[in-house]
Amino acid sequence: MTIRISGLGGASLPRLAGGAILAAVWILASGCQPAGPSERAEPKPRVALIMKSLANEFFLTMENGARAHQRAHADQYDLLANGIKDELDVSKQIDLVEQMIAQKVDAIVIAPADSKALVAVAKKAQDAGIAVVNIDNQFDAQVLADKQARIPFVGPDNRKGARRVGEHLAKHLRSGDAVAILEGAPNAFNGIQRRLGFEDAMKAAGMNIISSQSGYWETDKANQVVAALAGEHPELKAVLCANDSMALGAVAALRAAGKAGQVRVVGYDNISAVQNLLREGRILATADQHADQLAVFGIEYALEMLRTRGTPADRETPVDLVTAPGPSPQP
Amino acid sequence: MPGMTRPADTPLLLRTAGLTKDYATRVLDSVDLEILEGEVHALVGENGAGKSTLARILAGLIRPDAGHIELAGEPYAPSGKRQAEAQGVRMVMQELNVIGRLTVAESIFFGHLPHRWGAIDYPGLHRAARPLMDQVGLSDVAPDRPLETLGVGRQQMVEIAAALSRQCRLLILDEPTAALTAPEIERLFDQIRRLGQQGVSFLYISHRMEEIQRISDRISVLRDGRLLTTRGAAGFGLDEVVRLMVGRPLEETRLAASRPPNGPALRVDGLAAPPALRHASFELRFGEILGLAGLMGAGRTEMLRAIFGADRRAAGRICLRGSSAPARIDHPRDAVRQGIALLTEDRKAQGLLLPLSVLANVTLNHLRPFCRAGGRIQAAAERRAVEQWLDQLGVRCRSPLQPVAELSGGNQQKVLMARWLHRNCDILLLDEPTRGIDVGARFEIHRLLRQGADQGRAILMASSDLRELLGVCDRIGVMSAGRWVATFDRNTCSQDDLLHAALSGYTRTHP
Amino acid sequence: MNDTASHAHGRIAAGRRWLADYLGLGLALALLVLVFSLSTRHFFSLTTFQTIANQIPSAILIATGMTYVLLIAGIDLSVGSVLGLCTAVVGVGLAQGHWPAPLAILAGLAAGLAAGAFNGLVSIRWNLPPFIVTLGMLEIARGGAHFLTRSQTQYVGSALAPIVETHLLGLSLPFLLALAVVLGSQWILTRTVFGRYLVAIGTNEEAVRLSGIDPRPIKIAVYLYSGLLVALAAVIDTARFESANPNAGSGFELQAIAAVVIGGTSLMGGRGSVVSSFFGVLIIAVLNTGLAAVGARDETKRLVTGLVIVAAVIVDQYRHRWSQTKP
Repeated sequence: MTIRISGLGGASLPRLAGGAILAAVWILASGCQPAGPSERAEPKPRVALIMKSLANEFFLTMENGARAHQRAHADQYDLLANGIKDELDVSKQIDLVEQMIAQKVDAIVIAPADSKALVAVAKKAQDAGIAVVNIDNQFDAQVLADKQARIPFVGPDNRKGARRVGEHLAKHLRSGDAVAILEGAPNAFNGIQRRLGFEDAMKAAGMNIISSQSGYWETDKANQVVAALAGEHPELKAVLCANDSMALGAVAALRAAGKAGQVRVVGYDNISAVQNLLREGRILATADQHADQLAVFGIEYALEMLRTRGTPADRETPVDLVTAPGPSPQP
Repeated sequence: MPGMTRPADTPLLLRTAGLTKDYATRVLDSVDLEILEGEVHALVGENGAGKSTLARILAGLIRPDAGHIELAGEPYAPSGKRQAEAQGVRMVMQELNVIGRLTVAESIFFGHLPHRWGAIDYPGLHRAARPLMDQVGLSDVAPDRPLETLGVGRQQMVEIAAALSRQCRLLILDEPTAALTAPEIERLFDQIRRLGQQGVSFLYISHRMEEIQRISDRISVLRDGRLLTTRGAAGFGLDEVVRLMVGRPLEETRLAASRPPNGPALRVDGLAAPPALRHASFELRFGEILGLAGLMGAGRTEMLRAIFGADRRAAGRICLRGSSAPARIDHPRDAVRQGIALLTEDRKAQGLLLPLSVLANVTLNHLRPFCRAGGRIQAAAERRAVEQWLDQLGVRCRSPLQPVAELSGGNQQKVLMARWLHRNCDILLLDEPTRGIDVGARFEIHRLLRQGADQGRAILMASSDLRELLGVCDRIGVMSAGRWVATFDRNTCSQDDLLHAALSGYTRTHP
Repeated sequence: MNDTASHAHGRIAAGRRWLADYLGLGLALALLVLVFSLSTRHFFSLTTFQTIANQIPSAILIATGMTYVLLIAGIDLSVGSVLGLCTAVVGVGLAQGHWPAPLAILAGLAAGLAAGAFNGLVSIRWNLPPFIVTLGMLEIARGGAHFLTRSQTQYVGSALAPIVETHLLGLSLPFLLALAVVLGSQWILTRTVFGRYLVAIGTNEEAVRLSGIDPRPIKIAVYLYSGLLVALAAVIDTARFESANPNAGSGFELQAIAAVVIGGTSLMGGRGSVVSSFFGVLIIAVLNTGLAAVGARDETKRLVTGLVIVAAVIVDQYRHRWSQTKP
């Protein structure tokens, strides 16, 4: 008998642990569920916010801004915020949109992980009578035309913002100076726009772009690329980074190469970690797209659409050039 | 020498001429072998004599460096296993190439399963398997039974049925009885005789002389890659075959104890680890070799593993060295600390570190004597100690740094024995210590065991070879159906007694 | 057996193995350096090599731990995420908690050890494949990193600057530390009882168990060591970037495995060398730096890196066969 018990204990422990994990997941999941049926009876519109990677500081800031906005306007709408694990998980995001359609939400505000792949499902949502607003990453115009869909885009003009950062940098350089561009992930729309904006500014000022490589938005990869460039191109005068995380890597690489202060660095996004570097001048400039407001702009726009029942045109949101530590973008 | 005893009326099936194969050394040296239609042709020789190489050439697994082969008068040079099988030559491997989860019928037809648009046609498969299974005495087995649920002996029969699933003219059996029990061997022999009458030839490779004498029509002896002779089995005496194989006469195979055993080493009371081991009680004394007989699946391996702490015990007490308090053995580590060693049945999977050196294999569990500050191993001292052991046990290798995988089976077994002796273990549990080892090396191992006992060690040795047990052990215990059923003194028992005891558990019903 | 002959043979075999192990890798490395030196202006310079030496300490530390793990036929998929977690602990400690640097570093190292303990204990207690357990840890640690930092990059400024700014003979402290770890780990592997056990467990764990050695504590120690080295790497990276990014280290597990495999360590266990893994890291680093210096397009970089990994493993097959042939 004792044998049986010990054998049973050995076998069921993993099962117990599994059960505990399941229970924990269930509790967490139920805690995150939207309003209960009693509240659903109210006529408040329900807005679904579908984000890209919640592992990214930028999108998290966006989501937090949206949540704060909803708390301040709780009488006007309910918010269901969802995100995917990483920016490349396109199929998961499509699933999310379909779940929202099934939930019969009133509006979807979406930052698509892929500017083409999400068009079809967004159109499906629209056909189901849901107001769809595109934020952050603009849907591909060609695909929209193919699907005969009109989905308004609310967001910053990344190309224009990057051009302003580039123009500010150009004031500190002389015509013909060697500069390098660190791109975001090669397939990202905003990454491409920022690169184009940097290129616009540099070409206009007559700079010599000696290299343009991807740092995949990451500090570590950017560090490797800039270190190699600094060795290979001693004439390098500036590095333009498509986001601030990469700018951190670039600063570290230049310091290690003994070129701190000789090579200018600019970034994009104005994250909290670069505030000190801006103050010390180790990063010359960055751009603030008001990340915390981006989703809010989209939500307000969706509410407006629900009220007017029309499909308004795209709306551009402000981008500010930041050259010295500004107000912290996120408490 | 060749063909001199060929009966004039039997047609020739296969003939090799000047077959030669070199690896690092010459393994086969211009071998001229003739196999007749429908005969059982035994091939004997020590390990490394070239038997397996010859068999593998015939089965198309490797190619000769020189010489040629004729099959039924046509030139025969198979480019691989498949082509050899297409021409009717097939080998049942020494290590069963049984694929775990397959059913009996699937493994018989594996490689050419009947299918319809890629989906296996199971009714057709089972219909086709039935007559083949009946032919090898598996008529009571369902074709869709998982192969792993059969005993090793019946798995071998499945292999033979697989060989028959294609028109087979020559079937090569490499140590077919190594894993079989006596009744299973009988069944195998019946099948061989029956197929022989249907014109199938057998090349039968084995170390077991008495079996060869019983089953074969002619015997060929290989030594150092040369074919010494081919003769009719009748009148070719065992002693002479062995003398030709080893090049010297063997001494008396019965090894007697030089002195009576000392005090108790190991007492086991009511040991059980169901389902395989139900009840075992016995005592082992220092200075004796206690044999352990039993059929395949009688629970011998399971009992040794349970004593050693390799598997969990359900019940029972183990007392060591005359102490009345039970010893705590929950892990092999505990057993070894108390001087118990286990030489496992499957030395490659459970004993050796094959790619590593002889040296690392010997000292694995006892590096302490060479250990300096910080766990550093003093290489020179380690090497000296290992060389001493290799010398003492007569291990033949190029250097202590040679990978143990390159050694012959007998030398590998000696390396494992050196490991336990180096670890100062004096209670040795040996599971089939001479399986797959050639006659000469087998005898050396027997002598080492006897020497070990005479030096005061306690040895418990399980073997499926009753003659070996009778020749080497002082007493012989018998297990049957998971129970220790009898213990005999070797001077007052016969093979028959042992066999009866081994079968007893399967005829009687236990409460 | 002729004693002197066997000794000589042993020496020849050992020498042959040594040659096969390091000469091939050295040649491959030299070839890469040569190609990049010819195709760029400034690649072949002291600065380039100093740059590389500055960048690779964390990769070396992770690859060293991974070598040990692969040697015992395990795998650790969590190294990248654990690096992120340790970075987060250090970063949050410094930036939010305003801890003194040594305390933050100790906390980071403790986090690495805890992750290693989890990997080792869980896979052994429930007899789970390390692939699954460390895959779980990959998620857990990344989640932890984001939880601690609230997904915000933490700016730590110059709090850890002394770590990266201390130089000796032109080499940074992290590089010297990594070098010491490589040499020490190789010494442990080839000269000590512990090292002998690692190889034995990777070769045939059941045989080791049945020889009376308990493999479990040894395996746990290996995962602990891997966790500790990852944590060290995290401290170094935090110091280098003056910031702690919760996404740091993503994809490092595959990079580390690639470097170790290029060095010739077997994924099946029982065969490997820390020094060879060091060469593997060097090869990948030279490749990355060279391709960036050339300004190669992104798809070219990935293509070339992938081809080098596969080619290295193919070459290793032959190399291994050559060193095993009987002279």
